[in-house]
Amino acid sequence: MADPVFIAVAVLTVGTAIISLEARELIYGAISLAIAMLGIAGFFLLLDAPFVAMFQIAVYVGAVAVLIIFTVMLVRTQALFTTKEDKKRKGAGIALMLIIMSSLGALLLTSGLSGQFGDFNSSPAVNFTEIGELMLTYYAPALIILGLTLAGSVIAALALARRENIAEEEQEEDEEQRHHERTT
Amino acid sequence: MASYPQDVRFGGFVGSLIWLIFWILVIVALVGLPLIFIILFYVPLPEIDGKVLTPYLFLTSILYPQSAFPVIETLLASTFFKVAVFPGFTYAALIAAATIFIERKFLAKMQLRVGPLYAGKIEGILQLIADGLKLISKEIIIPSGADKLIFWAAPIAYVATAAAVVALIPAGPGLVVADIDVGLLAVFAILGFFPLIALLFSWASNSKYPFIGGLRALHQLIAFEIPFLISALSVVLLSGTLNLTEVVESQIQSYWFIFFLPISAFVFYISSLAELERIPFDLPEAESEIVAGWLTETSGMIYGLLQLGSYIKTYALAALFVILFLGGWAGPQIFPTEIIPASADAIIPIGTLYDATVANAIFWFTLKTFGVIMLMLLPRGISPRIRIDILLHTGWYKLIVLAFINMFIALALIYGGVLGPGGLLVR
Repeated sequence: MADPVFIAVAVLTVGTAIISLEARELIYGAISLAIAMLGIAGFFLLLDAPFVAMFQIAVYVGAVAVLIIFTVMLVRTQALFTTKEDKKRKGAGIALMLIIMSSLGALLLTSGLSGQFGDFNSSPAVNFTEIGELMLTYYAPALIILGLTLAGSVIAALALARRENIAEEEQEEDEEQRHHERTT
Repeated sequence: MASYPQDVRFGGFVGSLIWLIFWILVIVALVGLPLIFIILFYVPLPEIDGKVLTPYLFLTSILYPQSAFPVIETLLASTFFKVAVFPGFTYAALIAAATIFIERKFLAKMQLRVGPLYAGKIEGILQLIADGLKLISKEIIIPSGADKLIFWAAPIAYVATAAAVVALIPAGPGLVVADIDVGLLAVFAILGFFPLIALLFSWASNSKYPFIGGLRALHQLIAFEIPFLISALSVVLLSGTLNLTEVVESQIQSYWFIFFLPISAFVFYISSLAELERIPFDLPEAESEIVAGWLTETSGMIYGLLQLGSYIKTYALAALFVILFLGGWAGPQIFPTEIIPASADAIIPIGTLYDATVANAIFWFTLKTFGVIMLMLLPRGISPRIRIDILLHTGWYKLIVLAFINMFIALALIYGGVLGPGGLLVR
């Protein structure tokens, strides 16, 4: 348990997560959110899952964090909301979080899950070729359903974003132009 | 007309020299010697060749060079050497510096100009050092209203990220800083940081042209990241691994992948040009449209760092192209098996350090990488900038389709029994 790397990554992740909630400047909050996501990738590396860790970095830091930062840059923070400090609510929130987390941790420690996998340091890294084989054989239906869901959501997004009145607008513009030509 | 001050005397010069020597002696006595004793007492020193390495060993090695040899040997094998010198940062930075100079001369010759000429007498060979000194001595101007923390941190992060990509690139068999199983994925994961840094820096500059440049960098990422990944994916299909060293080994066992995947190589080349923000894809720093894009507010060494980072990135992507498509360090053995007879009795046994296969690997890898870098420099001399509305169209409608076509060719080669495990062309 006293693994210094684990403790360092944990402090980094939780610390930046708290900063991302508490930062006055929205842009610093977004950056620390990106660092927290990097910390989660560090956890995946510690858990011998480098494949998941790399995708965590590529998707969450490379794409999601960029989108969030992009959005934050385009809005003016003062115009959006004013911060309301409420000491009582803040204290209650912290206390509630501590209670939930400590009870979850106690549950996990007493459930026998913690000792199930034996020594973590000696086990080899998860082989991603095996994961790939399983995905294409046993879990193939799940993969296909996931793919169809994603494709469906992309098509739905396109349908929502589609402007139906483009043809009408062009017609109107043509008519206006004709009208203009007639008058001149 | 400039004139020298009148009170320059030889005595003053000698006096200043003595003053300098006095200060050096004082600093050595007050800082250097205590430092040596602190190291001797408190730091556990490594044991080399049966002897504990102490600072005094360095002093004896001035008189007896052979006593320093085991120390050098251990240093060459250490992780620190790999990270800092070869194949890590210094090697990449040297290649980046050479690239900057070669680019200027090469483009000048292409356009019938002369390029750098005067610095260093011979073809302006010291121009780079002059430019570097100029950048170091210049003032760093921070625009008013800029976000200082991000403005200072972003250039350093840019160079660090470029160096992180270099750490994953093998320059020879076993000559890699981080030999991980998911090397190719890690490269793409780290490359995703660059537009983020560009965007943050452009926002922190508090100026409109940098911000437009940052947004364009993001736009370019969205347009070219997908074909970039897919073109590299067909290499993974053929070699069956994500480890970059094993990718090269699988090419040594069959043939270079560029013969089977020419379209993928083309797509990879085009998308890496876009990733590097080089002409014709230099929209984020288009100097005739938006001043200098996201680099507009940079000055002095901040500009120098960003430039160094982008050229290190050029080296990394060229090296990646070599590894994925041109067989990495594979090449005919041209180095003799030994230069100096390797005997341990010699005063300085340099011959034992020399390894013909490693020298050969480094030579071919560097040569191929320089070739690809020249190919990446070439469009700057001959091509205009791409129009911004064509960018997304090129990336998504053309390059993705091309990459997929070659991926299906690769799949056909594997299922036809030509390549892959036990294939016809696998030796």
